Amino acid sequence: MKNTISKYYPLIPVFAAYLIMFIIGFFMPGMWQMVALLAFYCALGQSWNIFMGMTGYVDFGYVTFIALGTYGMSLGISYFSQFEWLGIGILVIGLILALFLASLSALLEAFIALRLRGAYFAIACIGINEGLRYFIEGAKIWGGSEGMIFFGALMQAFGKETVNQLTTFWADFSVFIIAALAAFLNMHYMRSKIGYALTAVREDEDAAKVMGINTTKYKTIAFLTSGLLGAGVGAMAWGLKLGHVYPGDVFVIHYTVECIVVVLLGGAGTLLGPVIGGLIYGLSKYWLAVIMPGFQLLIFAPIIIIIIVAAPEGVVGLLKRRLKGTQLEMFIE
Amino acid sequence: MIFTLLAGNLTHGLLLGGVYGLATMGLSLIFGVINVVNVGHGQFIMVGAFVTLTMFTTLGLSPVVSIPVALILGMALGFFFFYTVMRRLIRAPELTSLLATFAMGILLEEIAKLIFGADFRGYNWGVGRITLPITTIPMSKVYAFIGSIVIALFLYFWFSKTRLGTAIRAVIEDNEGATVCGVNVGWIYALSFAIGIGLTVMSGVLLTMFIPVGINPYMGGGYTLKAFVIAVLGGLTSPYGAFFAGLIFGLIENGAYTLFALIPGVAPFPLTVSLAFWMLFFLLLVKPTGLLGK
Repeated sequence: MKNTISKYYPLIPVFAAYLIMFIIGFFMPGMWQMVALLAFYCALGQSWNIFMGMTGYVDFGYVTFIALGTYGMSLGISYFSQFEWLGIGILVIGLILALFLASLSALLEAFIALRLRGAYFAIACIGINEGLRYFIEGAKIWGGSEGMIFFGALMQAFGKETVNQLTTFWADFSVFIIAALAAFLNMHYMRSKIGYALTAVREDEDAAKVMGINTTKYKTIAFLTSGLLGAGVGAMAWGLKLGHVYPGDVFVIHYTVECIVVVLLGGAGTLLGPVIGGLIYGLSKYWLAVIMPGFQLLIFAPIIIIIIVAAPEGVVGLLKRRLKGTQLEMFIE
Repeated sequence: MIFTLLAGNLTHGLLLGGVYGLATMGLSLIFGVINVVNVGHGQFIMVGAFVTLTMFTTLGLSPVVSIPVALILGMALGFFFFYTVMRRLIRAPELTSLLATFAMGILLEEIAKLIFGADFRGYNWGVGRITLPITTIPMSKVYAFIGSIVIALFLYFWFSKTRLGTAIRAVIEDNEGATVCGVNVGWIYALSFAIGIGLTVMSGVLLTMFIPVGINPYMGGGYTLKAFVIAVLGGLTSPYGAFFAGLIFGLIENGAYTLFALIPGVAPFPLTVSLAFWMLFFLLLVKPTGLLGK
């Protein structure tokens, strides 16, 4: 019994970090906004890392899932808010639609793109993202490039008070939940058959196949999990919170790159990495936006390059090396 | 009527396609030699566009002069980025090289914004126009097309006839084999990266002929994505394949636009862009080695 629990020890620092963030945001006035931003980056990093960390595949089009999640929630609110008796069920429908759209695209992508490797996979993922975006704009689906604005519908269905609470607290709170869920699933996969199979894939895919591992199945599981979590973040942090969606705002590769930066800062393929990376990235972005608005990217770009060259294993990678052989080792993964 | 329109637009597409082809050769060369997909590719095209704009508006020099300047500046940028960043990432996982090249792109965008501002700009190279029965074409576009063909041909002969060009082809084919044959692979990596970036910046000069008021620090992203489609169409590792794929892509793009514009109730421009990516997707699925590949 002790063994099964101790397998999950590395989750302790992760959950502790989320709890501390939540407490700081909840009890210190004026901090919620910043903590919500940090949780957003941690959740995205953690979700992206599930697939990348375990398989080594770089999903450069990950933002597709976030965007489709946003669209799911937007569709749910736009079309179902007229049925007032549904109450909070409207949001449930929105979330279900978000997950449905994301799983549809994840399965399609998995079916096609996961046969490709390396650079071809990254290009295919970017292609899917852009193809979807311009298809929505071109065929004028879901409002085309004008997008959907449903804040009014939300107001009508729930009233001003509730909407205020939903957008300023519950949307961010659910991002915390998703972040924690992502960490748990990541840990669970790492310690189960899926994790071992995917480690084999990462080290040598052909050898894994020859050994009889159904690589496609395990890759698809990890891909789907990662995509669904991303869709959840999109539905809550963009759809519900903002009350509008435009294709040009959500299908933006820059957000995938932010996920990658978060993961790489913390340590790719580690459990604690995305949390540390999310904190560092979120805090510095917040801070830079305050002290020198408009120049964040100019400062970030060289920093990213320096980190890639100087410390590609990230903070957790360095930490792991320092703590090797000590009692603390089992808490870091 | 529609056929005249289609023929006219296809002519424009062919001319643009030549520049697309040249703009993608650099991407393919870099992927072929150091196995890195340059996600910041389009931003180097943007650099070329700004070089042309600056030389034209402040110094009054014609874009023809900008071509060698862009090549030299591009190669300098290429060597700089190679020796500071890319050299360490050649054997690294894709994660790092993709992110590094993307960061380079952002850096170039932000520097351009700092210098030139974020407005859309343009210039007018008045060299007259030529009237065909089907359409009227500005001569600047014709010159850009001729320029790209000349550069591509020059490159072709350089690759096939010179020692250095042969060495580059050998490294694309098999870098260990090339090392055994006494090729200085490290230098070939650096040189190919620099030539790749130089070509890309140079293609930015020619591209300005097609975008009268489209020069902007953030113009590059769209070209990166088009270059991906073209590069895959051409087989991803072959610069010549990329050039022909560029011609095909230009034709498809303008032809599809003309046809989509006939469908009521859709926005033809984004639909054309999306078609390109569905094409990419389909190609990766059925023939990842490219149209001209084995």
